[in-house]
Amino acid sequence: MSERADGLRRRARRRRLGACFGGAEVGRYGGSVRRPVLGGVVAAGAVAVFCVLVAGGQAVGQVPQAEHGAASMAYQERAFEALLGEVDVTAVPVGLDPVVWEAFIPADNKMTPARVALGKKLFFDKRLSKDGTVSCATCHDVTRAFTDQRAVSEGIGDQLGRRNAPTTMNAALLQTVFLDGRSPTLDHQARMPIINPIEMGFADGESAAKAIGDDPEYKKMFAEAYGGEVNYEDMGRAMGAFERTMVFLDSPFRRFLEGEEEAISADAREGWRLFNEEARCVSCHHMNPSNPLGTDNRFHNVGVSARHRDFEQLVRDGVKALQADPSEAKLEELALATDMSELGRFMVTKNRSDIGAFRTSMLLNIGITQPYMHDGTLATLWDVMDHYNKGGEANLFLDGGMEPLALSEKQIDQVVAFLFALTDDRFAEENRRQMDQQRAKAQKDRPFRDEAMANRKKLAFEDRIQK
Amino acid sequence: MQPKHKSVETKYMAERQEFYESLKRLDRRSFLKVSAAAFGAAAAHGLAYPFSFQPVSVAYGAEPQGESGSFRFAYISDSHLYEKDINDRFVRALMRAVDDVNNMDPQPDFVFYGGDLAQLGQAKELDLGAEILGNLKAPLKIMVGEHDWYLDMGEKWRALFGEPIESWDHKGVHFVKLLSIIEEDFWTARKMTPMQRMRTVAGLDNGLQRSFTVGEQQRGWLKEDLAKYADDTPLVVFSHSPLYKLYKNWNFWTDDADEVQAILKRFKNVVVIHGHTHQMLTNRIGNIHFHGLLATAWPWPYAPEGMPELTIEMARPDPFNPQDGCGDGEVRVHPDGLVDKVYNFWNRNPVTVGRAYTSSWGKEAVPPRPNRPSY
Amino acid sequence: MNTGIWTTIVGVACVLLVVALWTTHANQVAADQGAKADEGEGQKVADSHMDQWKRKNPQEVDDWVAAEKERHAIQPPADNSDLLKGGQGEGHTYGQYTERDLLMWARETEKMAVEGSRIFHDATALGSTVAVSCDMCHPDGANTHPETYPKFQPQMGRVALLRDMINWCIQHPVRGERFEPDDPRMRALEAYIYAQRKGTALNYGKH
Repeated sequence: MSERADGLRRRARRRRLGACFGGAEVGRYGGSVRRPVLGGVVAAGAVAVFCVLVAGGQAVGQVPQAEHGAASMAYQERAFEALLGEVDVTAVPVGLDPVVWEAFIPADNKMTPARVALGKKLFFDKRLSKDGTVSCATCHDVTRAFTDQRAVSEGIGDQLGRRNAPTTMNAALLQTVFLDGRSPTLDHQARMPIINPIEMGFADGESAAKAIGDDPEYKKMFAEAYGGEVNYEDMGRAMGAFERTMVFLDSPFRRFLEGEEEAISADAREGWRLFNEEARCVSCHHMNPSNPLGTDNRFHNVGVSARHRDFEQLVRDGVKALQADPSEAKLEELALATDMSELGRFMVTKNRSDIGAFRTSMLLNIGITQPYMHDGTLATLWDVMDHYNKGGEANLFLDGGMEPLALSEKQIDQVVAFLFALTDDRFAEENRRQMDQQRAKAQKDRPFRDEAMANRKKLAFEDRIQK
Repeated sequence: MQPKHKSVETKYMAERQEFYESLKRLDRRSFLKVSAAAFGAAAAHGLAYPFSFQPVSVAYGAEPQGESGSFRFAYISDSHLYEKDINDRFVRALMRAVDDVNNMDPQPDFVFYGGDLAQLGQAKELDLGAEILGNLKAPLKIMVGEHDWYLDMGEKWRALFGEPIESWDHKGVHFVKLLSIIEEDFWTARKMTPMQRMRTVAGLDNGLQRSFTVGEQQRGWLKEDLAKYADDTPLVVFSHSPLYKLYKNWNFWTDDADEVQAILKRFKNVVVIHGHTHQMLTNRIGNIHFHGLLATAWPWPYAPEGMPELTIEMARPDPFNPQDGCGDGEVRVHPDGLVDKVYNFWNRNPVTVGRAYTSSWGKEAVPPRPNRPSY
Repeated sequence: MNTGIWTTIVGVACVLLVVALWTTHANQVAADQGAKADEGEGQKVADSHMDQWKRKNPQEVDDWVAAEKERHAIQPPADNSDLLKGGQGEGHTYGQYTERDLLMWARETEKMAVEGSRIFHDATALGSTVAVSCDMCHPDGANTHPETYPKFQPQMGRVALLRDMINWCIQHPVRGERFEPDDPRMRALEAYIYAQRKGTALNYGKH
């Protein structure tokens, strides 16, 4: 079949196919056609203001700094306002299925402006850390893609954790939170770093509540939002509500799904096809109208932890430790402060099938949330592709879906082009910068590339069993 | 205070907490047995596990406090190898199984291979399999499957692995290895080439082939071999085909199963361990307890009829994980000859079908039922 | 020269011209519509399969249908003998059926399912690069569940029909090239899978 006939057929099919999820299916792996015009205009405006604030500031080196490498809290708050502008927090975010969205809001924490405002104040408040240097926004920095763009995060006393901070952008749609899914909701997760000895360091929730309890502003806001006193539980709820406003779905890819063929490059279009076919990404990085995030919300061992240590011995030690003391406090401590963090989901469920498993990463805005993987050991998206192309890293608990893909260099470039097309337009400048930086780095060095494995000349496990 | 929004994870945490609370209520001896890594030890004492997760059996982790006199062997089965250049997936899976078994700590007494090492009986396939299995640390006992046999009727097999029929004793248990895939000649009349014969047998649903049998000659050998053993000798019989009649169309069947079972009838406890079915399969007929082996290559669906009542199915494999429903495993043999059969699924929790389950005709130590049954 | 010959020559030329124009037109229409595989091509594929098979099985050239049915049990198509009974059917052409009608329909329907069985059990026909055929995981078409489509399959990013799942299997476990939806091989495979699941209630969306 000629390529032209192919393309014609595809376009014809796109027009012919009926509606699903409130819009016509576009292309083979379609999306909705509903195109909000107003959103586009607002986005454009926000891009302009945000770019001036962040990009311009960074270019001149004038972004005021707070501790631990974050931008100052005041600066971040202004940047945040510039990004989102006026938002009706009770409305369903544009483009999302209303029924699905509702299912993600806890029954005891409906969205109200008061709650969101309280959550915002808390999010940027460094008093929630023992030494007053760390707020949520330290590791979820508005100017750094709502993460910290570091391999692992830095907390009070300059202590380093063991895991990469996921971005809070679009986190509202995750079914579980934390890379090992030990939190069922954003409301619950928001409380945890506050009492983590490495991150924000309070002994318990009461101490944290006391730290801000005398502030009359807070007293007023808590009363308004939740009708009670300043307390730890509602702190989490408020921040959860605030995080639910961090919806950043307006990427070029979205426009492509809605029918604008030229919104992404030809390479990216081919990358999207590969994503769904030969490259097998979609098996775990689900991307569809009800779940645009690019994650299946499940936990897979792709071998990243196995690369750096004797995994099997660690597993045996982990089992012994948990059998001795199975309490939740011990779990938190082991999960974050020791090597056992590498056991991932297993520390939560104690299921053998979860050993070394971490949640499938969200792909939205992936271009600007480097470095990658649960420990931040993969610096560029090319490294990520190399890792998957060779079928991950063999270990006893490797997910069976990891197979050598035999992708060519060109195909890898195409999938990477697609991934960079997933960044919200408001961060387009940062995205471009990242793409250039990562490409330069990848052209110099590809430490994870293994062509023999990728092309199935050498097999995973072959080296491990050699006598 | 528990968050009001109860997610799966919260339920999980609550269940886990409850489970560990219940652990504390057990007496110390039972606690040690339960908390040990091998689930099988606990199942042997008839403890039930109603919770949605199981204690960990981690890469055959810490040695369970088994009864003295019990021992373990590992198994790998049904790899269906093609040459590496033709199909890398099956080769990789067998290597993974070897890696699993090599990481058992402590090592099993021996490793048993359940048959169908090659897919089309080719010399290169068998050589490749022998090479990979050669990396096992523990000693290997290997059995023939139909895919290994019907290209050259066992010529290459004998050269590589010796006689297909064998018996041996180990720690008081008498082991017998049968060649139970013997089919009546269907190929000569049709003037089939060896490859055509092999391809016919290789098709599970190919109706041109005949049913598996053990055959009169081998039954005679079996009777003679068993003659010197008392009725209370623990007896484990390895067979590629299930030594009973499950589903004729797929040769989950042995034509002379009744005669073979008659020979085994006088023994107090007999365990038959078979390959070929690529699934979790349990049966009991009188004194004989039947256990199926997992495949490394791919899982079979359950037969539309003839399923034994005792079988708790494995959850329907997810096609989006090519290794779901596959794996390897181990068998713990108790002094009375009954076994705890551990199905070590890849990317799933292991499932143990224990001695207590088959002894009690399915009343005790019931393994968890699947949330995705076959239909 | 004989006018007859000239007439013949002119006649033949006209016919050829018409044929040429028609073919061009047909191709144009096909290209404009984003063609499905036209019948000529499909017939070529089936013929080539037939020839290959004949070469492999010279002793069974006469009845490939019977030969395939001997190898693999295939459910027969529905029984339509009710149509032969009387009642309102008599008295008008469109209501009358004969036994031979039923025989021909059954025969043609069945052949599609049998062809599907042939492809289903043949890694080469499927275009597999790893020597895997469908029956290796789906003996007798077991576990294919055609009655559960359409259903949303997140790993495919869309609501899938049976043919989408077949294509997914061809691309991944079988590691071959996807079929076009109207590829005669795809149609035959669907026919076989539906045939083996005859009698099962429809249940779209079941996972």
